[in-house]
Amino acid sequence: MSQKVKNLIRWLVFILVALIINFPVLATLSASLKTAAEISRNPGIFVQSPTLENYASILEVSERLNIFSYLQNSLIASTIASVLPIVLCFPLAYAVARRGYGKSLIFPTVVNLRAMPLIIFAIPLYMMYQSVGLLDTPLGLGLILAVVNLPLALLILVNAINDVPFELDEAARIDGARIFVILLKIVFPICLPALATVFIFSFITAWNEFLFGLMLTTTDAVPMTVGASFFFSSGGGGVQWGVAAAVIIVASVTPVVLGILMYKHISRSMIAGAVKG
Amino acid sequence: MTRSTENRILATPLVLFLLVMLGFPTILDIIYSFSEVSFENLRSPTFNGGRNYISILNDPEFWSASWFSMKFGLATAFAECILGLVLAVYLAPIIRKNTWMIAVLIMPMMIAPAMMGLMYRLLLHEFVGALPHYMFYWLGDSPAFLSRENVFTTVFTIETLQWTPFAFLLFFMAYEAIPGEMREAAAVDGARGLRMFWHIEMPMMLPTIAVAFFVRFIDGFRVFDNIFVLTGAGAGGATTSLSIYIYLSFFRSGEIGNAIAASVILFCVSFLALFFAGRLLRRSGA
Repeated sequence: MSQKVKNLIRWLVFILVALIINFPVLATLSASLKTAAEISRNPGIFVQSPTLENYASILEVSERLNIFSYLQNSLIASTIASVLPIVLCFPLAYAVARRGYGKSLIFPTVVNLRAMPLIIFAIPLYMMYQSVGLLDTPLGLGLILAVVNLPLALLILVNAINDVPFELDEAARIDGARIFVILLKIVFPICLPALATVFIFSFITAWNEFLFGLMLTTTDAVPMTVGASFFFSSGGGGVQWGVAAAVIIVASVTPVVLGILMYKHISRSMIAGAVKG
Repeated sequence: MTRSTENRILATPLVLFLLVMLGFPTILDIIYSFSEVSFENLRSPTFNGGRNYISILNDPEFWSASWFSMKFGLATAFAECILGLVLAVYLAPIIRKNTWMIAVLIMPMMIAPAMMGLMYRLLLHEFVGALPHYMFYWLGDSPAFLSRENVFTTVFTIETLQWTPFAFLLFFMAYEAIPGEMREAAAVDGARGLRMFWHIEMPMMLPTIAVAFFVRFIDGFRVFDNIFVLTGAGAGGATTSLSIYIYLSFFRSGEIGNAIAASVILFCVSFLALFFAGRLLRRSGA
């Protein structure tokens, strides 16, 4: 078989695999563009008469369902959960990368959190949050999602600081600059690409999280993932499939767009996270 | 300021945060696991010895949930690694020239597992779902995907289809990182195709394969989101993972002490598993 034919078969395999793994997304997108009547008449993937009425109807706020509030909560919690790991991990990452500090205890502890089933902390956190008033707040949700993001943030930042030329901060040190000045004025700007990766990656992870959203919020701070599931537990009259599909699409747009924009960086840092983890 | 003072200051914010967010909950976990608690006396639990642990260990549902998690974690990790490896190696020649293909193939990873579960609720629905529709059309029949007999296969397939891209991505990167001279040298010695893969490339990718398997196993073992939104505790408990078991005993049945005792057991088991996996990985040089 010639190389050309071999590659043609590879292309066909690629297309087939891409269609299979992305089929749920395609089917949901298609359902979100159909009227209720068309969904039951034509459950297939092709849309006969596309409509945006499902998207229009999720914008209507009701007592039970409020997509603006879900989006806002997700935005606040995810922002906290992406900024905080940077603030907390950046100084430590410097100590780890430059001086090997914390390599025996704190570094492995944080990295191994990646492998802990986090539900074991959910119940005591529920009790703790209840007594300090963090239950059902975006801040409370953001704090625990920050914990979820710590391992990868620390790994990426340690790798990034390892790549900063040692001479740069040594020179500043000899000039008598204090450690915090070195961190902020010299190391921080060089690490900006890595910091952006950490931010986006953490944001996607936090946005997509479900378990803590389900356990630690009830009404006011419900994030988008949990809110979307409300559309499936219909208040009488069965699930409105078109509307539910539109909600899933709205909930998924943010992480998918961020992911596609960032996929090169994400794959690189995933390697860092996985291989050194 | 001496270096060691500096180091301690640099570490302080993270350490404090961890103590509050994880240290304190861990202590609470341990105390409450030995106590009689309900939503009424959350603040003043009464010590009841190891009764929660005894009742957990005697609960057949705890064991079936543990078994489910173990089986699910192993099966999905295995399937994802095999499929990911085949895809990465087979498609590498065309992906190398078209890196945008990676973005298409890793798209499922960007979707929240909970949203993926909801998508399948629509996709598998017997009247409005696209999959039963096509299966009836082409094959004349469609299985009950969420019935007790089929539900494990269904959730296994869903998890595998969403996370094979993860294994694929790691393996593709590892495959591309194999030095060209290595392949050339092997080719001079007459190694080609499968032999080249089996004797040269695969051994070099082994550390990555081990890591991918471990990460996928962990995520499969603690699975919650997609199964919870798809079946809840339904399907006769046939899909109750350990995470779902803990959640249900906390909220639905109000057996808080039991839920916490189960958490502590899970904590210890995970800790031990991590400890040994870490030693194993270090020995293999990953």
